[in-house]
Amino acid sequence: MAILGIESTAHTFGVGICDKGRILANQKSMYPIKDRGMIPVKVAGFHMRNAHLVIKRALDEAGIKPGEIEAVGYTKGPGLGPCLAVGQLAATLISKRYKLPLMPVNHALGHIEVTKQAFRLKDPLVLYVSGGNSQILGIVENPFRHYHVYGETFDIGIGNMIDSFARAAGLVPAWGSTVAKAAAGGRYFEMPYTVKGMDFAFTGLQTFAEKSLESHSVRDTSYSLQETAFAMLCEATERALLLARKRELMVCGGVAQSKRLKEMLGIVAKEHRAGFFVSPNELNADNGAMIAVVAEKMYRSGQHYSAGQLNINQRYRVDTVKVTW
Amino acid sequence: MRLISEGAEARIYETRFLGMDTIVKERAAKRYRIKQLDDKLRRQRTKSEARLLYAASSHGMNVPNPLLVGLTSICMRRIRGRSLHEFTTGFARIGRARLSGALHDAGVYCGLLHNLDIAHGDYTPANLMLDNAGELWIIDFGLAKSTKSPEEKALDLLLMKRSVSQDLFQRFLAGYRKSCAYSGEMIKRLAEIERRGRYQTHTLMAG
Repeated sequence: MAILGIESTAHTFGVGICDKGRILANQKSMYPIKDRGMIPVKVAGFHMRNAHLVIKRALDEAGIKPGEIEAVGYTKGPGLGPCLAVGQLAATLISKRYKLPLMPVNHALGHIEVTKQAFRLKDPLVLYVSGGNSQILGIVENPFRHYHVYGETFDIGIGNMIDSFARAAGLVPAWGSTVAKAAAGGRYFEMPYTVKGMDFAFTGLQTFAEKSLESHSVRDTSYSLQETAFAMLCEATERALLLARKRELMVCGGVAQSKRLKEMLGIVAKEHRAGFFVSPNELNADNGAMIAVVAEKMYRSGQHYSAGQLNINQRYRVDTVKVTW
Repeated sequence: MRLISEGAEARIYETRFLGMDTIVKERAAKRYRIKQLDDKLRRQRTKSEARLLYAASSHGMNVPNPLLVGLTSICMRRIRGRSLHEFTTGFARIGRARLSGALHDAGVYCGLLHNLDIAHGDYTPANLMLDNAGELWIIDFGLAKSTKSPEEKALDLLLMKRSVSQDLFQRFLAGYRKSCAYSGEMIKRLAEIERRGRYQTHTLMAG
């Protein structure tokens, strides 16, 4: 018996299958991003056309029949409305056809739990950095067991900030990696640095960096932008690590693939004698397996949802989710 | 000098200066960020902290007054007591009335700081100390700013709201209303920031 999970928050439509935490399949199709980013309804249309193929590929990879599935999970949010709706629809159809319980999963929890499980972590402080999200989280028991947000971005996610800058600089916005390449060998010049306690903000930095392109090279600007933004994340994370008194530091989400960010966070962890764990890249990118993993935890800990609760929520906050496992 | 605490921000040493019990707050170098950025931040913050500590203490507020300022270190008077954080988290015991009174004072002081156009930047129980005589002291101006911006000031309220239970926060607001010249505007601003929706629905402590 197995759990099937469907992820469709943004550019990726992913289907994963897991059984007792073991990932049996993890298939996806990604909307090809050109130079202009994403138009949500177009991405949703793309997912619509591909959904059945990805589901079939996942079942084939796991080598199971639909009848062997016990429960289905889908991403409730946060994400782009039209995209979320496709995943919800696909999951609902499967659950109706095979009479299976449905589990609405929080996207951030997917990234966190799948990584936690991969390293068998007990109680990590989590830095979750992706296109739309930048949060520092850890489990707190009151008023119910949940991931408390110690700090987060006041405005935009760090990934989107770097991608927007990449477009302004004429670089291909390929998940920040082109900015990292352009930054190699650059020289630092001063940029706005905004950390408030354990929160931070990126739009001021982005505007400044884009304006700086008129007077500075793409290389120096990319370098200064990256160093400033990552230092902000590290400072907030370091503060949270000490406040929360956690012994493990974990980073996940799309931007966790950045080499420089990993290097910097590694130093933070080492200085405070905390273990440091980076999610493997195939789990940092959005994927269905992480939704399956959380759906399984929800299902096995006895969660049950009726029709009215099986909605989508574009702004579904992770700290409203009860962690029942 | 003896190291007495090491935080995320700085190392604190105890020492004596001019016959007084003092501490030296040294902003340690952070190896994770490049040297130019690190030097700039440490120097800027040290300078601004010393300036704002002086501004607040010269207006008669309970803050450790700076005695000697270096490039990345400040020597200041030592406050002997316990941080409010120890009481609000139940780590140390205190009477309910005294805790509530301390939060009220914290609100009054916050309003006075705002009247001086100072936003503390990290106004949480961890940065408020109750001395042995029961007086409340504000410490750590490391993230403080001289500003007229209502947004910056409202963030002080938000940080406090996120760090204490609901009834303690109400006591805090009661004090704040007494001292702050434009408390109504600030409380409205706080609600506005929360409405932007990036904030959690509950605080670290159960209500």
